Formats: sequence, structure tokens, C-alpha cells
Amino acid sequence: MLLLGIDVGGTHTDAVAIGPDGLEAQVKVATDHDNLLSSIRNSLGEIVRHTDPARIKQLNLSTTLSTNSIVEGNYEDVGVIVSAGPGLDPHSFMTCKDFHVIPGSLDHRGSETKRLDNLSLEEAIVSCRNAGIKVYAAVTKFSPRNPAHEKSIELAIGDNSDFTTLGHQLTGRLNFPRRISTAFYNCAVWRVFNKFADAIADTLDEMGLGQIKVNILKADGGTMPLDLSRKVPVQSIFSGPAASVMGIIALCNITHDSIIYDIGGTTTDIAIFAGGSPLIEQEGIHIGSHPTLVRALKVHSIGIGGDSAISMFNEKVRVGPNRLGPSIAFGGETPTLTDALIWKESCDCGNIERSKTGFTSFAAKNGLEPDELADQAIGYAVDKIHDSTRSLVDEINQQPVYTIHELLENRKIIPRKIYIMGGPAQAMKMDVFRKFRLSTEVPENYDVANAIGAALTRTTTELELFADTERGLMFIPSLGHRENVPRNYKLEDAEKDAMNHLLAHLGEMHVASDGSNAQITSSSSFNMVNGTSTVGRNIRVKCQIKPGVDRTYS
Amino acid sequence: MLKADNSLGIIFFPAFDWAISPTHPEREERLLYTQDQLREEGLFDIEGIREYKPEVACSEDIERVHFCFPEAEAIATRSHCISAGGAIKAAKLVMEGERKRAFALVRPPGHHAMKTVQGSRGFCAINIEAIMCEYIRENYGPKRIAIVDTDCHHGDGTQDVYWHDPDTLFISLHQDGRTLYPGTGFPKESGGPKALGRTVNIPLPPGTSDDGFMMVMEKAVMPILEDFKPDLIINSAGQDNHFTDPITNMNFSAQGYAALNSMLKPDIAVLEGGYAIQGALPYVNLGISLAMAGVDYSHVREPGFNPKALKESEEVMNYIATICEGVKDIYFNPPAKSSEGVVSGNWSVRHRNIFYDTEGFTESQTESLLLCENCRGLLKVETQREGGPMGFGLEIPAAACESCRNQGYSLLEEAQVKSRYRYIQLINRKDKDYLRYGF
Repeated sequence: MLLLGIDVGGTHTDAVAIGPDGLEAQVKVATDHDNLLSSIRNSLGEIVRHTDPARIKQLNLSTTLSTNSIVEGNYEDVGVIVSAGPGLDPHSFMTCKDFHVIPGSLDHRGSETKRLDNLSLEEAIVSCRNAGIKVYAAVTKFSPRNPAHEKSIELAIGDNSDFTTLGHQLTGRLNFPRRISTAFYNCAVWRVFNKFADAIADTLDEMGLGQIKVNILKADGGTMPLDLSRKVPVQSIFSGPAASVMGIIALCNITHDSIIYDIGGTTTDIAIFAGGSPLIEQEGIHIGSHPTLVRALKVHSIGIGGDSAISMFNEKVRVGPNRLGPSIAFGGETPTLTDALIWKESCDCGNIERSKTGFTSFAAKNGLEPDELADQAIGYAVDKIHDSTRSLVDEINQQPVYTIHELLENRKIIPRKIYIMGGPAQAMKMDVFRKFRLSTEVPENYDVANAIGAALTRTTTELELFADTERGLMFIPSLGHRENVPRNYKLEDAEKDAMNHLLAHLGEMHVASDGSNAQITSSSSFNMVNGTSTVGRNIRVKCQIKPGVDRTYS
Repeated sequence: MLKADNSLGIIFFPAFDWAISPTHPEREERLLYTQDQLREEGLFDIEGIREYKPEVACSEDIERVHFCFPEAEAIATRSHCISAGGAIKAAKLVMEGERKRAFALVRPPGHHAMKTVQGSRGFCAINIEAIMCEYIRENYGPKRIAIVDTDCHHGDGTQDVYWHDPDTLFISLHQDGRTLYPGTGFPKESGGPKALGRTVNIPLPPGTSDDGFMMVMEKAVMPILEDFKPDLIINSAGQDNHFTDPITNMNFSAQGYAALNSMLKPDIAVLEGGYAIQGALPYVNLGISLAMAGVDYSHVREPGFNPKALKESEEVMNYIATICEGVKDIYFNPPAKSSEGVVSGNWSVRHRNIFYDTEGFTESQTESLLLCENCRGLLKVETQREGGPMGFGLEIPAAACESCRNQGYSLLEEAQVKSRYRYIQLINRKDKDYLRYGF
């Protein structure tokens, strides 16, 4: 039985096949940005040649398709129909030209405080239809508490749409501006993503792999089944860094508060682990010009990598954030961090002689000994990494808490171990160790850790449950589930219901889960008082399948 | 993306696990909907607005301000310490230049806590604004501070803490004390003998709405502030003037609160009361946050807001205009003598009975200020909770003269020798010497 993992990166597409006894095949092919499918097909072809296709059970795929499409603005026009009510001016969150604000409002408990204006809604839809819009995003303020207005908009759009995203289906977390942009992006990449998904399915059929289960990586360090991803393609953005982090989890046994570095060609990604678990971004990731509600691992990128150019500024040596072509060792003109590492003999790659000659002459031109230049360059890079890490950890430790218990408990993250992966990992290891004085580990197979991570990542999902016993209502926005509950419905009932729905949802996605990875991440119950009597309880529960790998690779 | 004109730090601490009692107005649910509203609006995604964690105030922070009997730890629960710590965090952000302004959205409130505390009054145990102001003075040097209290209830605690301090201007806008707890806050209460005119009370008739409040701001508050020239403006941002508040009778709106804030431009705002937790707080808190950050708040509207229906009559407006003239006069031409206390030798002495409504007991107190020519004067307090032991508090102000300082220490010695008091507390701001005796 084999698990395949493919990570389509900026430069390379990495693929691995993992069997019960470990890595059975690994490939690295150049990524063709104009034809991601061919990169996937090529790597898959290589893997299949080295393994027995009949043993393949599953393919986990991390792709930059949605990310690139958004970043490059290469997506289709979306009709965005929002209803905001009081608060910030919704026009501040205009994501595109076909953006329509419809009068109507709900309050924080989901009560309608103003009816949706059907006339304006009709006009908005006509205007979108005339503009040739085929995909729509409907988002109303406080829809996670009551989706009625979003549903009315969907109904009104009707046949005008090939695909409609409703805000409350994306997540139950509150943040109206982010819900707008998330729904917008989801629609914008929907068609291009679905074509890609079709192509993947066809390719697998052609290769006789039609039976294998395909999952798409998400930014939170989990996967989602291909079929589900067709409806929420936005969830596939920024899954690359998540694959790396999952790779480290698969390759190392992480138990302490730790720092993870993925040192690439142009950037270093920094992730932080609390105990053995990666930290999740509290709100969601930023992409394009808008923040979203897409759940993601907390990964901070800085402009330091192997290909970062060395430059002089006020007689001081600097590295990055620019990349001016490849390292001298690989045919470039400007010395890079990699060339500095080659000079110090920490690293053995490319044309060593060419690198050293170029490096010496750059040093001479700037009146420095090459040794001095290399030391300063590496020192600068390590300092940058160190400072960014320090401020990231400080920021995490500053994050707000809302209860006395949490505040007094004061769980601070104090990193005790560093894990490094990526091309220059081995070469930088000692320099990083000298700076931090913390145990520093570079796992074996660090160069394909991302694909390994992709292969072993488990399917995750999260949901929020919201109950208002005064109204006798329980609601799970992302599942669109709403049911009546008795007035004595309690927090424990809500927790149980949330978990049951979470596992049932996994079942619908045809994912077997024993429930051991399901966890409640927060739960609270507030007495609602009117005058001096308690009229009900306001209950909120969040639960998730913990991001992680199905098994560790060792 | 929206960008704030003024960078704003918000310390949001709803204390979701603390309440006086399950159905008390000051309960866990109080900031729940505010949190929902701020999150849903994406307030913290606005460039320049950031959320921070509170600090925890320590006993020294409390005992720098209050005479606490028997001791700070017995008065302040953890949640009070965090609430005060939230205000301290707000001050730090502003004083250290990390943020231009800060809003401590914390609970429980503090403006009914007086100089001497033996328990909880009006949902307040320790005065979080005063603790913040004195933290600022202790750590960032002497400052002229103006506290503008916009809570519907008279800020009698803050008034009491700063009664004798000429460097703190305390202005309270509130519903007339003849119609609401705590029943004080009349214009004639204008400060102690060394700080006459530094306490400005503006009692407003029930039903005062946006126009009335704005008139007070324009005609009284702003001219007084302009003259006082404070280094810092603090807003005790109580939100119970709202037309939906269940325990008051005013007609103020979220728009009004935001406009008031926009005019006042406080460096720091600290949440006080406000018990219309569904219909008002989410919108008022949003309005104030936006106004402080300099972001457009014109779309903030609470359900049921009808400016026409809320508007006060011309008669009421005229009455408010008269009050404005009166209080301005008290500030600019303060009376020669304080409305409270009698002079006995070179001490100004007042006897008071203070009722602790939250806990239901009375404290009797004798407060004496040494009328010094060279400084603000030495302050001493003798206090006794009904049936309880005697306590003695002594404060040497930061700018005390040598003579007051020395007299302070000899009074302390005398108090110990006489052993008439179970508890003795010394606050020496001049030498940062804080002592406590007794058990």
C-alpha cells in the first residue's frame, strides 16, 4: 500500500511514494508554471515507473494553482452581493467592480433588524447578468448566526449562476470583511480550479489510477477530498508552507515548543510549534490585497534564502531580500548566501571553483577579505532569521486571551528546539545553532520533506456550533445545519453534538476517523439575562480534526 | 483596506469567567456581543488598530492610590487586578509611543471606588482610571491629567481620589444625582481647599440626548480643557447614557458617543458602566473605537435608533445651557472655600459616612488635609467599617515639602505607638515608600 505526495513548488515539483517501510520513490522535476498539470503528470509518471501502481491507495496534492491565479489576478469576474446593516461602510471592502450592497440587516444574535430589500437585490442581479457574470458570492453580516438573508440572495440569483458561494458555508467564524473576500476568491478561482480537478481525474484515469483517492492540501496542514475541494477551492491557497511543516512533523518527533525553518531559494519560512502542535493563524491568511478567513498554519516568511543576493550598503554586508539570478555556483553573476556557504565549505553544490573565484573578486572589489565577506553575509542572514523569529514568538505570546483563567495561566511559548529543512538546511545548521544555542536538527530527506508531508497529511475539518436556548435553536453554519433544541440544552450537549456532526461530516467525505484526532478547541456558555432572570444560554463550541500526519515516517 | 488616522490599541478583556452574581448587570455576558460585533466588523484588520492582552496590576499599583483596609488583596479579586492591568497596559502603549491612543475595554469598572476602600461600591472595588493615572505619574514623571467621565452615574470615586489634587482635572457628565445612584455630583462639589475648581460636575436632566451632550462638550468641557492644558486626556467611557440602558434614563446614542469622542480626542479611554449589553454596548463600543482611531463611524447605528424621537425639548436644552454657564464659572472663578470640610487648626477636616451598596455596610471616615503653604499637603484618613477595626491612612504627595514629609513620618510613628489602629497604611509618593502595618 502506497501513499503518494506531490508538492508543486515555485521551482520544483517534488513527488514521493511512501510504503509501510518508508520512502519507496522520490522525484524532483522542474515546475512549468504555464502548465502545472504537465509537472504533476511528469512527476507522477516517474513515481509510477518506480513503483507498483496497483499498490497506490491515495494521492495527496499540494498545488499553487489557486494561489497563483489569485496573485496574478488571473480569474473570472464575480458578482459580489452583500448586505451589511450598521457598522463600517461595506464599500470599504469592495473586492471587485460588480459589488452590490443591498439594504437589510441582522444583529449579533441573528435577529432580523431590517428586511432584505428585494428590489435592490433584483437590480443588482440584473446589473451582474448584463455584465456577463456567471459566478456569485452572497455575504451578509452575521450570517453565521442566521443564514436567511444569504439564502434569499441565492434564491434570487437562481439560474443566473454557474456557481454561488454563501458566506456562512465557508466558516462559522465571525469577520464580515474577510468573509466577503474569502467568498469572492472562492468564486474567482472556482472555474479554473474545477478544470484542473477534471484534468487530474482524467490523467489518473489515463494512467490507470482512476481508483485512488485524491486529496488536496489546505493551508491549515490538513487535506480535503478532491470532490469537496471543487466547492471550496479557496481552501487550497498557500498549502505549500503547510506541506513543509507537515513534512517536519512526519520526519521528526516534535514534543517541545519548537521553531521550524524551511530555508528555500528566495525565502525562509518560519513556523512555531507549541508543545508538539503547529500554531494556527487566529483569523486566516492574507492573499492578494485582502485578508481571508482561510484557516492556515502560522507561517512567517522573510526574504532570506540560498539565492538571496549579497550586497554592500554603507560599507556593511547585507543579504537579500532581493534575488538577482542564481548563485555564482549555478551560473549567476552576483554572489549569494549559497556562495558564502560554499566559500566557508559548509556546502558542496554547483560549480565550486566558479563560485569561489566570483566570490573572491566581489570581496576584493569591496575591500574585504573573502572570509570576512562570507562571515558577515552568513552572520547577517542568521541575525535576520533570529530577529524575525524573536518578534514572531513575542507576537504570539502577546495574543489576547479572554478569561482570567487563561491570562493567569500565562502559557508562554519558549522554544527549546530548532528544526531546519530546505536546500541550504544542512549548510546553515551550525551557524543557526551558534546564534540560538538551541538544539538544532536537520532531518534526513530534508530536501523532499514537503512532499513527504503532503503524502502523510490527514484530512481535517473544523466546525463551530452556536446555540441560543432562549430561541431554542442550535446552528452549525459551515454545514448549514439548524435544529431546535430544548430550553435545558447545555454546554455538554452542545459539545457532544458538535463532535458528532464533525465525525459525521468526515463520514460524508468518505474519510474514516476513529475520533481520536477530533478535539474541542473552545467552548463557552453564557447566561442570557433579561431584567433579573436568566432567560437562556448562549453557547459556542468549536471543534476540529487536529492537523497532523496519519503516521510518522521513520 | 481601511487605515486608521490614529493608531489605536484596544485592550479587550471581557473576563468571560467572572461575575458578581449570575444575574447581576455586571456579568459575564456583558461584553459578549461587543466581542461579536468587533470581530464581525473586522475591526482588528483595520491598519493601525491592534488588540492587546491586559497586564495584571499588583498590590503596589493599587496601594499607590488607595488606602485599602484591611489590604489590597482582600478588596480586589483577580478580575479587578486584570481590569486595572488592562488600563495600565493602555497607558503603557500610549506613553511608550507604540500607539497614539488606547481603549481599555475591560470589566469590572472602577469609578465609584474612592480613595479609601473597604469593599465594593456600585460594582466597583478599585478605581482603575486612578490606578492607571498614578502608574503613569510613577513611571513617566509628573503629568497634568484631565479625566472626563462620561458614565451616566456620577464618578464619585474618581472625584474623591482627586479631590485634593490640583494637577488632575476631573470633569463628570452624568444624570442628575437627584434621580440616580450615587446621588452626588452637583456643581458645588468643586474640589478640596487646595484644588478648588479642579472638580467639575455637570449634572444633566434625564432624557438628555445627543444635542444636549454635544452642547455640554462645546460650551463647557472643551473651553475648560483648553484652559487646563492637560498632558493627557482620559475618558472614563461609561456607556449607560444610552437610550436603551436598563438602569438609567438618558437618551444618548452610539452616534453621539462617537461624536463626543471625536471632539474630546482622549489619549486613553477606559470602559466604565453600560448595561444594555445587546442593544447598546456593541454599537457604542464600535463607535468609540472608530472615533478614537479616526475611521468613519457614520454608518454605526443601533437598532431602534430614531434621532427625532430621542431629541430633548427646547426647555431641556435651555436648562443645559444654563448649567454649562454655571460650571464654566466654577472652573474659571472657583469659590474661595471648599463645599466640604471644616478648618480645624491648620487641618481641613471632613467626616463622612460612606455606604457600600454592593456589600451593604457603612464606613465612617474622618479625612484631614494639612493646609500647607508650600505643597499640596499631607493627607490622613481615619476609617472604620461598622463594627470593624480602625484603620489609618497617610499620604505624602509626590511634590511634598520637607516639612510635610517629616510630619508624615512622625504621624506614622505616633499612630504605631498609640496602637489605636488595627491597620496602618503609608503612601509616600515622594520617596516611593509604601508601607503597611497590621493584620
